[in-house]
Amino acid sequence: MAEATVIKPDLDFVKGVIEGGGESLKKCYQCATCTVVCNVTPDDNPFPRKEMVWAQWGLKEKFAGNPDVWLCHQCNDCTAYCPRDAKPGEVLGAIRKQTIKQYSSPAFMVNFVNSKAFIPVMLLLLAGLLSAAGTFAIPDGEIIFSKFASTHFLQFVFTPALLFGFAVGALGVKKFWADMKKSAGVSSGDLGGSVSATASEILGHSKFKMCGVSKDRFTAHFLVFYSFVALGIATALGVLYIDILHIESPFSLTGTGFPVKIFGAVGAAGLLLGVLLMISNRFKNAEKVGMGSYFDWLLITIIGVIMASGILSWLTRVAGIATVAYSVYFIHLVFVLSLFLYLPYSKLAHMFYRSAAICFLKYSGREKQ
Amino acid sequence: MAEKKKVLVIGGGFSGLTAAVETAEAGSEVIIVEKAPFFGGRVTQLNKYFPKLCPPNCGLEINFRRIKTNGDITFYTLAEVESISGQEGNYDVTIKVNPRFVNDKCVGCNACNEACPVEIPNEFNFGLDKTKAAYITHNQAFPFKYVIDGKHCKGTSCAKCAEACKYDAIHLDMKPETVKVNVGSVVLASGWEPYDVTKLDILGGGKIKNVITNMQMERLAAPNGPTAGKILRPSDGKEVKNIAFVQCAGSRDENHLPYCSYICCMASLKQATYLREQYPDSKARIFYIDIRTPGRYEQFYWKVKDDPGVTLTKGKVAKITEDAATGDVIMVAEDVLAGKKITETFDMVVLATGMVPSTRASKIPGDISYTNEGFVQAASLKKGIYAVGTLKSPVDVAKSVQDATGVAIKSIQSSRRS
Repeated sequence: MAEATVIKPDLDFVKGVIEGGGESLKKCYQCATCTVVCNVTPDDNPFPRKEMVWAQWGLKEKFAGNPDVWLCHQCNDCTAYCPRDAKPGEVLGAIRKQTIKQYSSPAFMVNFVNSKAFIPVMLLLLAGLLSAAGTFAIPDGEIIFSKFASTHFLQFVFTPALLFGFAVGALGVKKFWADMKKSAGVSSGDLGGSVSATASEILGHSKFKMCGVSKDRFTAHFLVFYSFVALGIATALGVLYIDILHIESPFSLTGTGFPVKIFGAVGAAGLLLGVLLMISNRFKNAEKVGMGSYFDWLLITIIGVIMASGILSWLTRVAGIATVAYSVYFIHLVFVLSLFLYLPYSKLAHMFYRSAAICFLKYSGREKQ
Repeated sequence: MAEKKKVLVIGGGFSGLTAAVETAEAGSEVIIVEKAPFFGGRVTQLNKYFPKLCPPNCGLEINFRRIKTNGDITFYTLAEVESISGQEGNYDVTIKVNPRFVNDKCVGCNACNEACPVEIPNEFNFGLDKTKAAYITHNQAFPFKYVIDGKHCKGTSCAKCAEACKYDAIHLDMKPETVKVNVGSVVLASGWEPYDVTKLDILGGGKIKNVITNMQMERLAAPNGPTAGKILRPSDGKEVKNIAFVQCAGSRDENHLPYCSYICCMASLKQATYLREQYPDSKARIFYIDIRTPGRYEQFYWKVKDDPGVTLTKGKVAKITEDAATGDVIMVAEDVLAGKKITETFDMVVLATGMVPSTRASKIPGDISYTNEGFVQAASLKKGIYAVGTLKSPVDVAKSVQDATGVAIKSIQSSRRS
């Protein structure tokens, strides 16, 4: 008699997917409508039908080194046409959350950043640090934010936080890449070419353009993505002016630091528009694809608050309303710090894992024909 | 003993006919109300039906004969029930009888049809061909007299049919009539409608010429159908040698019909044999989620599966397009067992569309409650009112007949309680 195949379901994984926004998982009856309506999947071993049954059965090991869940851009065409309302798009999002948990260390941070205690703890932490630095009070005189939180303080707290975020992400990608190679049985490929092809795909947002039902995701993500680029440039310029050229903040659109302000303003406006679009898309498509999970909304909320508090603190500073300006600035700092620590453990970690997965598809030759 | 009252049967399809003849042959008077101009319902439109795969006339003809020879049965065609009130043993019912414009003198000579200048889509053939406003559905229709479609006929201003009729059978000035009856019990047997394929946007329903429904396929294969039984595709009349069936086209789908329509797997397996028997060099491929062949029907599934010309592929079709140059149909599915997304081209594709209870669109007047899908909630019916067959859930002919036979005895009992 042939050896029996023993399946060892990982029930915690199933529970994790269900609790992480995939509560509809068990409704799937494997008809494969999702795979057919998906415009992004390769034809060979297509997704997301196979992922749905793996997740139902708790076959966690199947997801180790699976680039397909990351190739999914959550267009939600699958969810719109799913005959069982099993929402494959949402389930794959929940599976990605489990993958992030699997690859990012320390693992408890994933639960923490996605729990409701995260933002309050960050608020208390920053308040504590500012008190320790002796500046946790509203300063007198002209409104200059560096009087409240000095540039050195910010560099001391925020730079390590950001570096930590990227380091955790990079370590995760390293493990993920090794697993992908192992599960695909691929030992070598054209890494340089794959990386540059990936970069051009991401910069051009070409996969998003394939979405059917949620076509507007392209515009929204495009705006948010390039706004972050603009804000990154603004930050780098800030460092250049303050630390190298020794030109003190605050900057204004008319003063010497005007390029910082221009990039900042363009980034803020783009983010405002992009986030509003993301929110409106979710409401518009809610009937067809659902409202999204907490995991999903938390990222939008954090980015939304950063952008809103950034703009508001600028405006109130210029208007000279000190109490409001400093309080809003404090909130802004809390959320920026949250974003940095949240980076490798949250939906935002898709920037690491999705980029790696897309790159691996090129590296291994598993592309949509 | 209480007075023997009449029994009203709403619907003259296989269920209604069965309930009516069984009731009448047990000695109760029966009134049948049929909305269409002819009796026999959906079964008349089939080429062959289960369980014995005989043509509709076997079964229907004997029932028509039982009606004709039984003095206790009164029937109305083109009739609709307008109101039902009362209680078990004493229901007052109002029936509106629409004019047929043709009386009993009709001999079925077809002169009116030849004279009629108005072409209309042939609803009996699901729009696969045209007929005239003066028509009969097929040569064994019952009652065997022509009908003039009041919606499309130009009336007395044209009257070419009346001029052509040698038997004084056509009277274009007939008016609707209202009939009031008192009955002891009511049998609801108004049957089902095929699901509207135009709602299946990604399957090209109603848009792609060579994508047809399973009921249209029955008409294409039927000797009294638009092609006299030759399976030819609608766009260019080409012989269909390579066909695909799309199971669960709208059924088991929360965006359309959340329930399994019960008959479609059997219908597609059966229709695959139509093609295979007609063209020995043909190929049929059935795309399914699960093949559902309840009870002994499983044996039929085995038989069809063993035919090397038939392929069964697990995976639901969710994308169908047309090759504009050839009229061929291109469809995409995932071959689940092979783990591949496949694109295949066929001469013609049949959508195995499901059953919608007629009560979803047209409710029966009276105090009747329905499920979200429009089925009659049998448990909540008032005493003396019974629903039969596909009004309660999707079922096949055999089950409908069993159900109707059972309801006959109940309706007789109710008609004698007052």
